[in-house]
Amino acid sequence: MTALTSDAALIRLALVIAALLFSIGIAGFLSRRNMIVMFLCTELMFQGAALALIAFGKMHGDLSGQVFTIFILTVAAAEAALALGLVILLYRRRETLNSEAWSELKE
Amino acid sequence: MTLSPLTSMLSGTMMASSDIPAATIAPEMAWLGWALALPAISALVCTLMALGKVKGKLPGWLTVASLGTCFVLIFKAYQSMPEGPVVIPLAEWMSFSWGPTDFHSLQAALELYIDRLTIFWMLFVTGLGTLIALYATEYMEHDVKAGYARFFAGVSIFLFAMTALVMGGNLLLLYLGWEGVGLASYMLIGYFFTRPSAVAAAKKAFIVNRIGDLGLALGIFLTWRCYGTIEYSELFQVTANAPREGPWEESLIPYLLMLGAFGKSAQGPLYVWLPDAMEGPTPVSALIHAATMVTAGVFLIARCYPLFLLQPDALTVVAWIGGLTAFWAATIGMAQYDMKRVWAYSTISQLGYMFLGLGLGTTFGACFHTFTHAFFKACLFLTAGAVMHGFAGQLDIRRLSGLSRVPGFRMVSWFALLGGLWLAAFPFSAAFFSKDEILVAGVGSDRADFQFLGWLGLLTAGLTAYYTFRVWFRAFAGPVHFEPGDEVHGDDHGHDVAHDHGDGHGHAPAAAHAHHHGEFHPHGPRWAMKFAIAIIGIGAVLAGYPAYESMFLHKENWVQWMISGSTAVGGAGVVEHVAAEGASHGHQVLGMSAHAATSLAGSIFGIGGILIALYLHLIRRSAADSLRRAIQATPIIGWIPNAAEHKWYVDEIYHAVFRVPLWVTGHVLHFIDKHILDAGVVDGIGASPSLVGRVFRPLYGGVLQSYAVTMAGGVGLILAWLAYTWLRGGF
Amino acid sequence: MSAAWTTILLPLLAAAVIAFSPSKMAKWIALAATGVVLAATLRLVVGFHDWGNGDFQSESEAIRFLPEFGISLSLGYDSVALVMALLNAVLMPLCVLGSFSAIKDRQREYYAWFMVLHASLMLAFASRDAITFYVGYEFTLVPMVFLIAIWGGPERRAAATKYFLFTFFGSIFLLGSLLWLGAQMRESTGAWNFDLDAMIAFAQKLPADTQWWLFLCLGLGFAVKVPIFQLHTWLPLAHDQAPTGGSVILAGTLLKLGTYGLFRIALPAAPEGAVALAPLWAILCICAVVYASLICWVQRDVKRLVAYSSIGHLALCVLGLFAFNIIGAEGSVYYMVNHGLSTGAMFLCIGMIYERYHTKDMERLGGLAKRMPVWAFFFGLFTFASLGLPGLNGFVGEFLCLMGTFVADAKSGVDNYPGVLGPNYAFIAASGLVLAAMYLLIMLGKMIWGPLREPHDDGHHEPSGLSPDLNWREIGILTPLAVLCLWLGLAPGFVLESLEPACTRMLAPFPAIVQAQHDAAATQGDAVAVADSTTAEAVR
Repeated sequence: MTALTSDAALIRLALVIAALLFSIGIAGFLSRRNMIVMFLCTELMFQGAALALIAFGKMHGDLSGQVFTIFILTVAAAEAALALGLVILLYRRRETLNSEAWSELKE
Repeated sequence: MTLSPLTSMLSGTMMASSDIPAATIAPEMAWLGWALALPAISALVCTLMALGKVKGKLPGWLTVASLGTCFVLIFKAYQSMPEGPVVIPLAEWMSFSWGPTDFHSLQAALELYIDRLTIFWMLFVTGLGTLIALYATEYMEHDVKAGYARFFAGVSIFLFAMTALVMGGNLLLLYLGWEGVGLASYMLIGYFFTRPSAVAAAKKAFIVNRIGDLGLALGIFLTWRCYGTIEYSELFQVTANAPREGPWEESLIPYLLMLGAFGKSAQGPLYVWLPDAMEGPTPVSALIHAATMVTAGVFLIARCYPLFLLQPDALTVVAWIGGLTAFWAATIGMAQYDMKRVWAYSTISQLGYMFLGLGLGTTFGACFHTFTHAFFKACLFLTAGAVMHGFAGQLDIRRLSGLSRVPGFRMVSWFALLGGLWLAAFPFSAAFFSKDEILVAGVGSDRADFQFLGWLGLLTAGLTAYYTFRVWFRAFAGPVHFEPGDEVHGDDHGHDVAHDHGDGHGHAPAAAHAHHHGEFHPHGPRWAMKFAIAIIGIGAVLAGYPAYESMFLHKENWVQWMISGSTAVGGAGVVEHVAAEGASHGHQVLGMSAHAATSLAGSIFGIGGILIALYLHLIRRSAADSLRRAIQATPIIGWIPNAAEHKWYVDEIYHAVFRVPLWVTGHVLHFIDKHILDAGVVDGIGASPSLVGRVFRPLYGGVLQSYAVTMAGGVGLILAWLAYTWLRGGF
Repeated sequence: MSAAWTTILLPLLAAAVIAFSPSKMAKWIALAATGVVLAATLRLVVGFHDWGNGDFQSESEAIRFLPEFGISLSLGYDSVALVMALLNAVLMPLCVLGSFSAIKDRQREYYAWFMVLHASLMLAFASRDAITFYVGYEFTLVPMVFLIAIWGGPERRAAATKYFLFTFFGSIFLLGSLLWLGAQMRESTGAWNFDLDAMIAFAQKLPADTQWWLFLCLGLGFAVKVPIFQLHTWLPLAHDQAPTGGSVILAGTLLKLGTYGLFRIALPAAPEGAVALAPLWAILCICAVVYASLICWVQRDVKRLVAYSSIGHLALCVLGLFAFNIIGAEGSVYYMVNHGLSTGAMFLCIGMIYERYHTKDMERLGGLAKRMPVWAFFFGLFTFASLGLPGLNGFVGEFLCLMGTFVADAKSGVDNYPGVLGPNYAFIAASGLVLAAMYLLIMLGKMIWGPLREPHDDGHHEPSGLSPDLNWREIGILTPLAVLCLWLGLAPGFVLESLEPACTRMLAPFPAIVQAQHDAAATQGDAVAVADSTTAEAVR
């Protein structure tokens, strides 16, 4: 386990996990039609990005990566409230959570 | 450069500009500013009364009172007139100065420039203005409930503007008056505004005048550019020392000023508005379109004579335009049937004489003729107005006859005869002398072209005598017969303009005639109209007095004395000069001195014209018709009577040559603006983003995931590019 | 709160209050606010420090708004800015009063947007800082777009869109050049600074070809607003479709932002460029005079006619600026005021007719002097003011602009101020005098003279509820404008005198530049002549 104790290895591992989180998020977002699940996937992408920021912060040896992450968490929380509110409103209109029900933006 | 013949002819009086003494500043004469203020106040009050729908004759009397006071003021100024010109500063208007010294300045203050020319002009402007306004208080009484106050507001505005024009101390103030009289003219020609012909005439008058005004404005610009001032008091001192050969801008000045004068005084190509201006009420025709406003062009040239003397060729142009216009208008006047129209063409013709005089170098003759013309033409118009007033708008000389025997119209007829004799330049009438003063300058000239113009003027005098007495013998003499016009009192005045419609028989509705005929009683003028006519008639007689003065009393001619103390001094003494030269060089015309020859020829032409009119229009009226038919039957000249009746089709030609092309251009430009520039270029550019968008449209399906796929694809592309670059060996 | 701040903040406050007050109160609040702003502006005029000084005079301490970017909120006036602010302050209450019966729905929004418009215009005229000027200049778009798009005529959406996009397009060049200039200054001085005077002083030192580009871009920005010929197609549509109040402000002050911008920024900042491009601008202006006048002639819609006439009139105004002499510059500023008053008044008059007859078509309306003599009087008066009758205001500006152009050449009478135009330009531009008389009198002939023609009510419109002729409120709107037209025409002295220092200051760099150009041309000409003579000698 010495690999894990070295900073470089830790950072590499964190970046891999971040990439995985982001990829899972994207894959889920693109493949699922349920809006709540899609929303969860965006949260996954957020966390991937946040993790990557922390890792890079560690790499450069300063705190700005963590500062950004705190910001992201805050924004994500606010966004979660807004997004869920929107989802509920949309559900009330069409009685469905399928994202394909909404395609008026086309024109 | 050799001096032109005119210059050499004038060489005796060529000290012109430097003869004008420097003006003194006289703030103590500021009371004369009331001559400007009173009409302005009366205009304002009358306008407010018109807006407040005041009924009653108050506006009329107010105008008469303010104009009368103006006349008194001017008369007082005449009595206490200083020797040289006087500048009276009143207020600031458009003045600035800049730069380190005040040399760089554009000064156009509200100031008066008083010399004898100013006083001379103002005397007859305010005098006639007062009398004609008095006449109008009665003439317009049918309109007391309608436009009475508006009418007098227009008259007051006119007098204000005319005062500014004549008394103003700089060219810009003259321009203010110039456009102001144009506005008044527009308002008053279009007085009966529900009648489309009146509206069209008013519009035409203003627009044609604006063409002249453009020339005047450009002339003012150039004057300031070349001489650095537009104030008379400085300008004529500067021009006195100006070199004869200036830059091209300088040589253009008199031509541009001339254009302005031709517009306002209905000369040359710009005369067409004046006959139509007769749509206005008759007092307006008398005051504005005969006696005063139309002489503004003469005044302008007389006032700026030093500028013209610097360009003698310009004066030659003035002479030619004046002489030809006099002849041209007389030919049209011979074929018109509407009394006011005949007088209108006679006005154009007489103004032509004045310009001829200016061009020939005799400002004295031009101003003298302006003076006499103002009286006798006002007299003629006022008598025509009395007829129109009494016969419900009838002015067609084919439908009026023997008015001198109709009760109530005797006095009017005799004063019309007086005006007619004066217009015809009957020997020893005032106009006979004033016209002679002009023509002798042509006939006695050394230059062949001036001699031609002089003889053309004499021929025109014969034509004038003929058409004047054609009207008088037709309408006022002969058996009593009349048909009233189709105008209902209290409503608009409309006079018959039948001949405009080309059938030559008139088109006055027969029903209206029948309706009127049984019960129609013409009513003669009452005291205000009679009084004004009488005073103006007596004035016309007295206007010849200055000529008697010089001829029989061997005193200095009053008019000449007035003109010699002014900026027009350059041409004040030319007749004496010509006569003296004729005597010394033995230059004779027809074996006599030029003066005697002109007088004799003028008398013969004048009396001859009257005798022909007497035969054709009184003794054997049928002969006129058969003569006309005979001419029409002659092959080559057969078109002449009809064409003359239609004013030589000048209006139609202008319409086709100027108005239609401009109108078409306007439509073409509007089409370009709307459909090519706006809908084509601008909207085309506006539409280009959406065209680009159409290419990428399939990428955005509307479903949320499709956007995400596009986005992810984009990110993937960027990543692929980064990876590719990295693999190629770094960034 | 100083008077200058009042003119900007009070309308904003009023807008906020109107948004939350009962609908019936909206117009009264707006009227009161505009009245107070007028009073404050008059207070500014009375308290103006030094009429003889052409500098921009600070009214209050600058607020360091974004100090690290050199942007500050500082207000101040020179006499030109003050005159423009006064024009705006005079027109606004009259517009509000004129909208009383015309605007029936969504009153709160209408008056609130009007107040925002007021504030942004006042900000633009009072700014001493390029960025705040730009904010005021550009922000006028927002309320105006809403005013057109909500309360406008049948094509209001298209008009609003075109107006927004077109003028925004121009503004990009303006903002770009201002930012570029700021960046250049930062490079040389090391700090951001958007103070207008400092920017102008810096820009004047730039090399001639840089100034050429700078003037091209700045000029393009303002040209759209003026609008200069070929960039004008938004104007007829926007004027035509806007509600009366909007048209009045659009013609009265919004267009003046373009000419004011030329005067305040473009000309002094890039004098070399201005001199080089002056003939091009002058030719465009002259074309516009003739082009717009002829188009006016064939219009059927009276409002559209007046809109097109603005293009021609403002072209003359811009021509005066490019004379580069004091006469032209003062005439131009004077013309801005006069055009605002007389054209604004004409739009108000047309609005009064539209309220009564629901049409502006001159084929359907006519002879209104019979029905509405008082209205006809005012309309005639403003028409004559517009066509430049001496004694009324329009003449003074028109005359001075033409006169300025006339003497703007190398050997003019104004030898302190050589120019690059001259009589040839003025001769053609002066033809506008005749053309303007033509179309305006044709309009007058159709609208007020002739037999009465009124459209028959087709039953689709509710009766206006207004008296046949003007009521006292409407007379009260037009009377101040009429008095101003007469007063400014008869006694222009005070205004002209007060404009002089500011104009002198604006023109300061020009004489030397123009003279250098003429000298260069002369030397070149001499060189050519010498070359010719040597060649001739050589040949011999």
